[in-house]
Amino acid sequence: MYDKDKKERKYHILWKIAKKEFLLNLMTFKFAVGTIVCVVLTAVFMPVLVSDYQERLKQYNDAFAANEAELRKVKVYKNITPMIYRPPNVLSVFSEGLEKRLGYSAKIELDNVPELSAVSTGLNPYLSIYPVLDVSLVFKIVMSVLALLVAYDVIAGERERGTLKLVLSGTVARYQVLAGKFLAGLATLVIPLTMAFIVGVLIFEFFPLVDLAGSDWVRIGLMYLASLIFLSAMYNVGLLFSCLAKRSAISLVLGLFIWIVCVVVIPNGSGYLARKIQPLEPEERLESELKLVAENRDRELKEINKNIPPGWSSSTAGGAFNRSYYLVLDKRGLEYWKKSSVLKEPVRIKYADKFLEVKQKHLSNLFKQKYLANNFSRTSPISLFENIMSALAGTDLDRAQYFMDRVRMHRNSVVAYVRSKTADFSSLSYFTRCKEGDWEEGQKILEPAVDATNEAERKRVLDAFYKWRDKKAAETPALNLQDFPQFIYQPSVVRSFSRAIPDLALLTFISVLFFVLSFVAFMRYDVRSD
Amino acid sequence: MIRQIIYKEILENLLSLRFILSLLLAVLLFAAAGFVFTAKYRQESQDYWKDTNENLSSLSEQTKRLCDVALYEQTVYRKPKPLALCTDGFEKYFPNYVRFNIFSMYIPGVKSRGNFDLGRFSDMDLVFIISLILSFIALIFTYDTICGEKEAGTLRLMLATSIHRHKILIGKYVGVMFTLGIPVLLGLLVTLLIVISSRDVVISAGDWLKILTIVLLSFLYLSIFVLLGLFVSSRTAHSANSMVILLLAWVGLVILIPSFGRIISDAAFESPTQAELQRKLTEVGKKIEDDRASGKFGKNADSFGFKVKNPPGTAQMMNAQTEARNQVREFHLNKMIAPLIFGRSFTRLSPTVIYQCASEAIAGIGITRFKSLYQQVKRYQADLKEYVRGKDAEDPESLHLLCAHNQAIKDWGVISKRSVSFDTIPKFQERDLALGQSLKLAIWDIGLLVLFNLVFFAASYVSFLKYDVR
Repeated sequence: MYDKDKKERKYHILWKIAKKEFLLNLMTFKFAVGTIVCVVLTAVFMPVLVSDYQERLKQYNDAFAANEAELRKVKVYKNITPMIYRPPNVLSVFSEGLEKRLGYSAKIELDNVPELSAVSTGLNPYLSIYPVLDVSLVFKIVMSVLALLVAYDVIAGERERGTLKLVLSGTVARYQVLAGKFLAGLATLVIPLTMAFIVGVLIFEFFPLVDLAGSDWVRIGLMYLASLIFLSAMYNVGLLFSCLAKRSAISLVLGLFIWIVCVVVIPNGSGYLARKIQPLEPEERLESELKLVAENRDRELKEINKNIPPGWSSSTAGGAFNRSYYLVLDKRGLEYWKKSSVLKEPVRIKYADKFLEVKQKHLSNLFKQKYLANNFSRTSPISLFENIMSALAGTDLDRAQYFMDRVRMHRNSVVAYVRSKTADFSSLSYFTRCKEGDWEEGQKILEPAVDATNEAERKRVLDAFYKWRDKKAAETPALNLQDFPQFIYQPSVVRSFSRAIPDLALLTFISVLFFVLSFVAFMRYDVRSD
Repeated sequence: MIRQIIYKEILENLLSLRFILSLLLAVLLFAAAGFVFTAKYRQESQDYWKDTNENLSSLSEQTKRLCDVALYEQTVYRKPKPLALCTDGFEKYFPNYVRFNIFSMYIPGVKSRGNFDLGRFSDMDLVFIISLILSFIALIFTYDTICGEKEAGTLRLMLATSIHRHKILIGKYVGVMFTLGIPVLLGLLVTLLIVISSRDVVISAGDWLKILTIVLLSFLYLSIFVLLGLFVSSRTAHSANSMVILLLAWVGLVILIPSFGRIISDAAFESPTQAELQRKLTEVGKKIEDDRASGKFGKNADSFGFKVKNPPGTAQMMNAQTEARNQVREFHLNKMIAPLIFGRSFTRLSPTVIYQCASEAIAGIGITRFKSLYQQVKRYQADLKEYVRGKDAEDPESLHLLCAHNQAIKDWGVISKRSVSFDTIPKFQERDLALGQSLKLAIWDIGLLVLFNLVFFAASYVSFLKYDVR
């Protein structure tokens, strides 16, 4: 019975300290200004960012529709070279990450496997000079400052005022004081954070075209949690200095110096270090390796060409995806292209994989550098938070790679589809839709032109031929692509979350570590010293 | 009296923890910037000379026939500058080479190590350190200059004497500027020592002057933040509140406003795509073809595959075509640059951006440098064309029709096939702007910086005059 009472009293006191501290915090100038700034900034950022997203979504939809329309016009299998577009990410509003740095599209081709570096070409690279703008900027800069400002004088301030002596002269244990202050600080910081999140989500509602899926809500919830852990880490950093310093001014200065190092120095300096330790190969190396592969391929293709009798005639027509196709071919032409497709296309496909290998080797070097830089930057809680947010929002490198993996899988299934439909490129429909006799029909129309004596007569015959050709092109039906493979791109929350877990764990560890350190510092504090 | 106040301020600052911390941080960062810059400069110079020599040696191989010189596509690379030490000007995102022959000019491209950039890590040059770290330190030095003394009770004592308030304010301003100057100048000294002792970087006299100008500019910039700190400090009663306001103002001015650049330019401009460029190139080709069909270039101005009966007409058509394509490419390039310049002008609400722009203009680095390089290459292209025209005129066998048409050159000799001496061919040389011209470019930005200074000075002066010591 007594034990229970004691326990209750303990929590009662902890609760009391937390409540008092919390109420005091609420009445401070810094809390008022910090909260207002957070909410106002979110309210200003969100509409701008969401309408920017909406614009990107519109562009995506247009491009997607145009691509589908082209696909419906395809007349020969050879011309199936659709574009794959990456849908813009709604949560890039919260964390932009690489969303605008990596491209949105990739081309599906038989003789080329798309790679991450190639997709960035569609963007205006000059715009990269601007820093990233997203809502997490508000959290990571403004809220982290606020956390430090709330924390810097919790102990040092009471020391200066002499109230700490009074508190400690009571029956309160020191850990209760510290725990109470931590809880109060967290409760104080939760208010602007929650308000900012609520404002942010509410603003989504003003954009009827933008809707959030269920998984997006889960992601936003996780982001909220991550922000909470981040804020507690930053608060505990401030708490440590507050326990260490005799005067709150010194605690503030120390905290701010650490903050600027975490915000500016570490994120930028780690890139440097990584570049120094893991330098990149010059671009020429990649180019020369690619050239070598291309030469090998061309040699092989030439070898094949020797065995196919040349000398044929054809007439072409413009087709889907800006590619022309053979409208009519003479007998030798049909023979030539049939043989050439059967023999050459597998070689091209084989070499496409070899090109990919070379490019990926080069890219892996770059990724190593990037990972190294990321590891260095993990010494700053702000970089950790950035990583977590972009992983949760799905705007990190992993997501970009996932997209590319998906595109490559899609490409493979397209290749398999074309192969099965054309019986390994041996069907004529791979390159033409003409039937036997079509060529002769055209020649018959053209025949009088050879004997034509005057220019006008010649022109009349040619016009007749062109007319026949156009009619032929219009008559050729599009391919039936009912069973064409669909591009599947379904990023999963679980994957994003598992990417964020190491950083989340590290951030939690930092938070706990700093709390323990402040606890130690506080335990060692001698009341008589001031 | 004012001297005494300055003296006291400086001594007080020098003994403070914040001074030691800022000195350490500044010297460390500046030293790191120096080391990193020398390594980068060495690498870039190597690459630059390799590429440039390759280009020249290929050019010298073309001298056997004048027509080959005319058709040869030269590549001019951007030369690494010693002044990139001060500001990098985001040059890694800008094209570093221009390819052209005397007829065509292509879209400049980027060739580098790690061309495909994953971003986020910006380069830490001197301007970056000063604009972010030292501006922050300036606020840490000033946040409690007035209200801190009021809290300590010393302000009352000081004002009880016969000193004028403006003298106190000026004394404090000079004192803080002086203390702030120590880490800046010491850091700069360390960097310059590192850079000079590496012997890879040769800084010319003109460059020294420009560095000096950038240092002066840096003080002008830092002075804005010192004055801002004085202003807020003399508006608030408690130093804690002053810090809160100053921090938020710093975040807004230095971080948030510059970040709006991208989204503003995305909203205002549509980024041109590669596909659009290709489409336009085809379009103009078609248009010229139509012009030919309608007889604009005379009869039989055929281009490909047929026996040419009308060389002047064909040449005229070919030139019209290359000219039209050049225009399309230049239009595309301008469209890519326009949002950049627009976004930057918009974000000039922040003194940080102004300071960055001004130092880029003075160092001759960044967007303006890229634009000027492109213009210089264009002028060089015109010079080379004149040279080819002149040499061609000396050859009686040539038809004297400069046009980029392989067959025309091969089969009917529109350009002379005589050899030329490599030494007589003009070579491209990038010219730097003199300090005076660079200053002219930066004059608006410098004016804005001065204006910021004046506004904050006036504001802090008025606030301090009205300050209630009780």
